[in-house]
Amino acid sequence: MHPIKKIVTWARIKSPWILHFNTGACNACDIEIIAALTPRYDIERFGVILKGTPRHADVLVCSGPVTKQIEDRLVRIYEQMAEPKFVVAVGTCSCSGGVFKDCYNIKGGIDTTIPVSAYIPGCPASPKAIIDGVVKLLASLEDNESKAKATKEEKVAGGK
Amino acid sequence: MPKSKKFNIPMGPQHPALKEPEGFSVALKGEKILGVEIRLGYNHRGIEKACEQNTYIQDLYLIERVCGICSHTHATCFVQAVEEIAGLQVPRRGLYLRTLIAELERIHSHLLWLGVAGHEIGFDTLLMYSWRDREIVMDTLALLTGNRVNYGMNTIGGVRHDITPAQSKEVLKAIDLLEERTKYYIEVATQETTIIKRLSGVGVVSYDDALRLEAVGPTGRASGLDRDVRRDDPYAAYGELSFNVITDNHCDVFGRTIVRVKELMESYKMIRQIIKNMPDGPIAVKAPRKIPAGEAVSRYEAPRGEDVHYVKANGSEMPERVKVRAPTLANIQVVKHMLKDRYLADMPIVIAAIDPCFSCTDRMINIEYDSNKKSEVINWATLHEYSLKWHRDRGVDFSKLNKQFQRRMSI
Amino acid sequence: MSQEEKVKESLVNKFGYLEGKVNIPRPRRIFLDTDLKNLADIILYAKDELRFNHLLTITGLDEGENLSFIYHLAHDSGLILNIKVSVLKSSPVLKTITPFFVSAEIYERELVDLFGAEVEGLPAGNRYPLTDDWPQGEFPLRKDWHPAKE
Repeated sequence: MHPIKKIVTWARIKSPWILHFNTGACNACDIEIIAALTPRYDIERFGVILKGTPRHADVLVCSGPVTKQIEDRLVRIYEQMAEPKFVVAVGTCSCSGGVFKDCYNIKGGIDTTIPVSAYIPGCPASPKAIIDGVVKLLASLEDNESKAKATKEEKVAGGK
Repeated sequence: MPKSKKFNIPMGPQHPALKEPEGFSVALKGEKILGVEIRLGYNHRGIEKACEQNTYIQDLYLIERVCGICSHTHATCFVQAVEEIAGLQVPRRGLYLRTLIAELERIHSHLLWLGVAGHEIGFDTLLMYSWRDREIVMDTLALLTGNRVNYGMNTIGGVRHDITPAQSKEVLKAIDLLEERTKYYIEVATQETTIIKRLSGVGVVSYDDALRLEAVGPTGRASGLDRDVRRDDPYAAYGELSFNVITDNHCDVFGRTIVRVKELMESYKMIRQIIKNMPDGPIAVKAPRKIPAGEAVSRYEAPRGEDVHYVKANGSEMPERVKVRAPTLANIQVVKHMLKDRYLADMPIVIAAIDPCFSCTDRMINIEYDSNKKSEVINWATLHEYSLKWHRDRGVDFSKLNKQFQRRMSI
Repeated sequence: MSQEEKVKESLVNKFGYLEGKVNIPRPRRIFLDTDLKNLADIILYAKDELRFNHLLTITGLDEGENLSFIYHLAHDSGLILNIKVSVLKSSPVLKTITPFFVSAEIYERELVDLFGAEVEGLPAGNRYPLTDDWPQGEFPLRKDWHPAKE
């Protein structure tokens, strides 16, 4: 299985498929995410593709604070993604609730509801920051992959 | 859909048996919509309550974030009400600067809409090019205010940033370039048969219905409803500018497209006037921390339509009440009417044509079939795919236009 | 006489009880206070005779013992007529104005959810803007309501 796993991980690192989900945002971050896909910033050169369904996505990109209406749906979307999966919180509202933190219909940032792999602050997070965040996430995947490889080699060498 | 055996709308991602707060509930007969129910509230953040518990200046930053596309709209509308209650007279230069940012916002918003509309009908090249042009506006806004979005331009009593002669030159250069490109968008919108065929007769609202249902902004103006707050209830510097209110009589999505691209041309005109006639002087007056008791109603013509704010002050540092009625709330009530007796495949563009904030369209759709009483829940992306395929099967194909567009715009 | 003054005169001539209750704080803004029972008559007159045919929104206010509601009507010339009525908080019953303005429906639903108003004659439909499982009797925009600390 190992060679196949390598290919899958390489594909994931080289071209993560993204599902974008707005959990109650003002849309500023949503538009900066989409702007990241347009020619000026062109995140597609990293192989990043926007997908429509959670079943095909590797990365869930969330914008907005979590409103009470959207909470259940966010959890369900997360659960429908196949492992391994990653969540990116785009914008200050996704990170912590932002300016809406103590509002009555707001639960808080994304991590109050699902685990978050990367936080990209900003109000809104600019496309450059979004790209930076995605690249860091990809690099950490690569890093984890090589760490896992190194650990395994150690184990083999150590005769465990 | 039950009638067609070739294509089945896939279910999910959510299981229909689970309780789901659908945004739209559609009753279908065959492929035609019998009726639509709309459920709103997903973005309800409790801003109005939060305003009562923060100072006026804090509220300015909060209100700016009601909508990320119209941030200057909401901030200005709010600050106008507060200034009226406090009896503050914003200096003319401040008003001109506010108006400059307002029109730049309108341009970025309409270009954004053009791209979204292109995407909804399968004309993706339009999305790429209009958003590339939009970056010119974003650069200009960042140059003048320090941010691409949420400009923080306003303060109570005026504006926070002045403009230098060098910046003015940059603005004019940007406008010249955009005007060239927009002329081509107008040509494409009004002369390309594929576009005309795709958008005509879709999302129809007659003049009488637009009046009765109170459509605002370009949605109303495309049905001949001659209302524009900039001319009817002038605010900021609009009283001193010369511009046309664009109306159209097509009453459909095609008309809404025409109105928006022509409004871009009017905005370019206005920006040139603003730069040319920019008055000298201060950009703000000092405002008190405590706003005396009083109330005011402020209106603003956002790119989407009329925005209304009501503010009541009680002599303290925090407002007694802030009420916001955004334009999409008015227009979304017209959508029910637009979709009746129409094809399900037209739903994406009809909703996009009122230019709602994105989050309003990222909703689940519950479909009830008349023929077998079944119902299923689909998501927006699925509906989008269905719509594109349905129209392709009926001869609407943008591949040739995409290529032509790319050739022409790659200069 | 300015247009605002003309509107004021027409209203006072038609409804004598409005004498002294109509205020023009600045151009294009008219405010008036009246009792709930007069609301329908005034709205009908303002809409049909005075051509205030655009309902902007309805604002709810918590004024202690009372809940007040301001109906904001606009005229094509840019004038806004703001009609304020008050009801006891203990019995905040309103009649729907959807027969005059179809768009009132969503603004009235907001009053129901956020202030606890009871609007008679409101057509059946989804609530707005709160969730279906929002606790009963909790009205966020009332002054004495505070979000529970979690």
